[in-house]
Order: sequence, then structure tokens, then C-alpha cells
Amino acid sequence: METGGIRVNNLHKTFGQGENAVHVIQGASFEVKPGELAALIAPSGAGKSTLLMMIGCVLDPSSGEIWLGDTQVYQNRWLEKDTRTLRREKIGFIFQAHYLIPFLNVLDNVRLLPLANQEPLPQVEARARELLGYLGLEEKLHAMPSDLSGGQNQRVAIARALATRPQIILADEPTAALDIERAHSVVQLLRQIAKEQRVAIIMVTHDERLLSYCDKILKIVAGKVDTLPPPETTETFI
Amino acid sequence: MIHLAYQDIRHTLSKFLVTAMGVGMLLGIVLIMIGVYRGMVDDARILLNDIQADLWIVQQDTLGPFAESSRLHQDTQDTLKSLDGIDKAAALTFQNLQLYNRQQQAIRVLAVGYDPAGDFQPVSPERLIQGRALRAQHYEMVVTDKTGFQLGEQIALGRDTYSVVGVTRGTVSSSGDPLIYISLKDAQNVQFSYSNPRIRSDRARGIGGQQTQLVNTVVATLRPGYTPVAVASEIETWKHFTTYTQSEQATILSRNVIERSSKQIGLFTAILVLVSGIIIGLIIYTMTLEKIKEISIMKLIGIPNRLVIKMIVQETLLLGAIAFVFGNFFAHLIYSQFPKRVVLLWNDSLALFSVILAASFLASLVGVYKVMKADPATAIGG
Repeated sequence: METGGIRVNNLHKTFGQGENAVHVIQGASFEVKPGELAALIAPSGAGKSTLLMMIGCVLDPSSGEIWLGDTQVYQNRWLEKDTRTLRREKIGFIFQAHYLIPFLNVLDNVRLLPLANQEPLPQVEARARELLGYLGLEEKLHAMPSDLSGGQNQRVAIARALATRPQIILADEPTAALDIERAHSVVQLLRQIAKEQRVAIIMVTHDERLLSYCDKILKIVAGKVDTLPPPETTETFI
Repeated sequence: MIHLAYQDIRHTLSKFLVTAMGVGMLLGIVLIMIGVYRGMVDDARILLNDIQADLWIVQQDTLGPFAESSRLHQDTQDTLKSLDGIDKAAALTFQNLQLYNRQQQAIRVLAVGYDPAGDFQPVSPERLIQGRALRAQHYEMVVTDKTGFQLGEQIALGRDTYSVVGVTRGTVSSSGDPLIYISLKDAQNVQFSYSNPRIRSDRARGIGGQQTQLVNTVVATLRPGYTPVAVASEIETWKHFTTYTQSEQATILSRNVIERSSKQIGLFTAILVLVSGIIIGLIIYTMTLEKIKEISIMKLIGIPNRLVIKMIVQETLLLGAIAFVFGNFFAHLIYSQFPKRVVLLWNDSLALFSVILAASFLASLVGVYKVMKADPATAIGG
């Protein structure tokens, strides 16, 4: 039986108290299974980053439940003491900009996280080389991020996110800094990764032209999350 | 594991080295200041060590020639020689003078007057680099190389002209003035003889003949079996003199003569060390701030704090270590250009290294604080 993915039940987040309380997320529930690519969409200020930070174990929810695979990690409080270890072992992150460590070369950027996880060096090395080969960067192992194009750096960031074999990848507008051609290429790649690596990917995007690559759409409406099917053609969702 | 500090430094090597060089120059100045202090203490003891007396007999109730005006009759040396326990005794004079070189530039010196045929020879053979010590009772001079005078050069002093017969190295007074050596008779003439108009004026006022058989101190060594304290006590029972042992004279020099100057330099050095620590702290703070986005990312993706903190601390300590090496190099490169003696000791360098390591470690805590406070959430949402 396949494990992995993410399940969220009745998640709430409120900033402030009393009259000043702002209820950003109000009972969000959704599921993204391994092998699925989901798009998280909403107008600016609707709570995309807040939701992403909560399911990324960076921000404390006010209440609700979060499951990573078969493991419940949040039930009105974090059930794991060290959320940073949780992030390191179970979640991969991809950002708007690539945010690679500028003083590490491509190979070291990908090796850093599994080595911090105390994984054996030969296995880490093999996995990093395999991922970078898979993403077409086998010629760039020792290049510095400053020597690569935006698209190449974003692929290194994807390799880094995959290096620890996470159950879920959270991609925060990974195509925002790319032109439309490269954006399509990156999202196609994310879809391919989701299918081949059997990982659940949640991608925040403002670009409705990319939604057709996704398996489902998570749309934040009035603090709740509606799960919608992907469009067959380009249409306005946001 | 990937060595983050090494990779970061390698990535910005030139910037790191330039920063370390800047801090190093500051540390070099600190080392020089410590060296000036050491030089001052050493200078104060050169004459004392070269003379190697057991006792210094000076005018009653004075601190002696290095701290106060002291005058004794020259024949005190003969009286002392007859005292039980005294082996050798000699009269000495000390006087600040201004000489002029060929370019008519003024050179301030301390003139030591001694009897070339006497029991004490203050010109240390180890310090004599050219020529010889005094032999004649008149018109010969031994100079320190820092005066710029050459062997055989003729120098006008008082009413007479002197020949340089010897050159020493590293001989200075407690105030850093170069030493010259002249015979006791010449020194007495220079110090105690009046000019002809003054003599005529004194005669017209009924003042008697001038007294030139005066000296500033008499130094003595002891026979075996006699202790300086016991003999000094014996001399003081005469009530006419005050007597100091060699160590007491050294204490007078370090406490009374150079204490304020040395304290001033010591305080200045302490402030410099403090400023260096603050500057290192600011540099580390800035270096950490420059990386705060990367640090937020590292924290977000799950890199443990200890790895990031290790990187900051290692970079700081390495910065301190490289700055220390460069500071030593810089100090040794320039110290000879200073007009006063600068004594650079490895012990002082190592002590400073410990202080800088401690300061660097404390400074790294500033960076560590920034790491701990860095919010991983800032990496999300742009």
C-alpha cells in the first residue's frame, strides 16, 4: 500500500484576538495523494502563504489536523517536538526564486540536506547525481548557482527538494521568476516528478495557463479550500 | 559533511581576506602600542643594567638622579671605599643636553659622566658597535647610533669640541633620549661651570669661587658576604645620604619616572583592544546580515541551527586568527620606523591572540543571535 501525501482537516488560522482577530483560514480541508500535482490558487491576501506555511510546519495553526502520509503531525498542537526535523525529513520546498545557497556548488546544494539528516555519504552522493542527471544537469555538478540560468537554478532547487525523498513538496510560485516557456517546462517537470517519484506536490501559482498540468486545484474561498478538477482548457479560475 | 564556513569563505575569499587585513592592521597597532610600553620599561632599565651597581648613594631625602635633582661631593666615592663591605665605588653625573648635528638640527641627549680610569665603566662592551670606550679625561665622547653622529666626528659642547671615539646601539634614557658618554671632568665642567660673565658677576656680588667637584650619584658594589640592605643601612646612619639598592632604584624608575606614561599607554592599549573587539563584532554582524536570507532558507528547509551557528563561529574565529597573523606581520614590518624603541614580544602576541580569540568568539555570539532570530517564514511569499 502506498503511503505519503498530505491530508488536512478543518484547519484554522486566526491572527490577533477579540475585535482585532483576523480569521485567515477557516476550516480548510483537502487531500493531495502521492503522485498528484495540486495547484493552490487564490487572490493576493487570501491566505495562500499562510496555508503553505502551516502545512509546511513553519507556522502554528490555530486548530485542526494535518497528516503527512500515515503520520498525524498536528492536532490542535504539533505532535512532533521538532518541526524542523519534520520539515527536513518529510517536506521539500521550492521557492519563487531558487534560493540556492550561493557559496555551494550545484552538487553540494543538493547534498546538504540529506547530509544534515546524517544519511550515509555514498548514498547521498549517488542520489544527488541521479537527481541532477534526471533533471538534465549532469554537466553542471560543480557549477556555482551564479553561473547557471534561472531555469537551471530552479531545476537544482527541485533536485534539492527531492534529495531527502520527501512525502510532499511545497512549491511557492516556482515559475514566478521565469518566462512563460520556461514556466511551462518547470510545471511539466513537476508533474513528471510527482508521477515518477510518487510525491505529492502543492504548487502556489497565479498563472492560470499552468493549471491544466495539475491533477487538482485547491482554491481558497472565504478562508476555506475548495477542491476543483483541472480545466480542460485555459479559463479563469482566479 | 559539507564544510559551510570553508565554502562560504572560498566563495568570497578576497572580501574575507581584505576584511581580515583591515582588522589585522588594527591589531598590528595594538601590538605596536604594547611594544612601545615594553620599550619604555626596557629603556628605563638600560642604564641601570649597564652600570650593574649594588648600591646607589644619592643626596639625602631625594629619589636619586633619575627622578629628582641630586648632588653629592665627588670625594664621597673615596669615603665610601673605606667603608667595610664596599668593594668598588664611582661617581657619576647625568645631564640632559642638546647637541647639534652638521645640519644644525637639535638632538636631545642624556650625557653620562664617568671616570674613564675609575671602577665603573657604564659603556657596555656588548652595546659598543664601533670604536672604543673613553680613555682620555677630556674631549672624548661615546655616542648612541640613534644620534646620527659618526665615529671620528667633532661635536661642539659647551666651550669645547669633542671627538666621537665610540658608537653604541640601543642605549637610551628612561625618557627615550639617546645616551652619550663623556668623562666625569668634562661632565662636571658642562654641568657645574659657569660662563665667564656669570663668574665675574658672582665675584662682584661677593659670592665665592664655583664648586665643580660635584656629582649626581655614587654607585658601589659590595664585597662577597655583605648584603645591600645591611650596607645601605650602615651608610644611612651617617645621615648625609640616602641609599638605594639596585632593585629599589629600578622600582623608582618604573613607579616614579615612567608610571604615568606607561599607564597612559596601557589605557590606550586597553581601549584599542576594546575597539578591535567591537569592530570585529560589527563585521561579524554585517557578514551575518548579508547572509540572513540564506540563513532563513536553511532554517526553513530544515538545516539544524547548530550547522549554521558552527559556520558563523568558525568564520569569526578564522577571521580573528588571520587578522592576528597579518597584525603580527604588519607590526614587525613597521615597528623599526618608530622614533622610540618598540619591543615586540611573542608572549605579548600570544596574550593578544587569546584576547582576540575571546573577542571573536563573543563577537560571533552577535551573529549567532541573528541566526537564532532569523524567521524561516520570511522565505515564503517573496
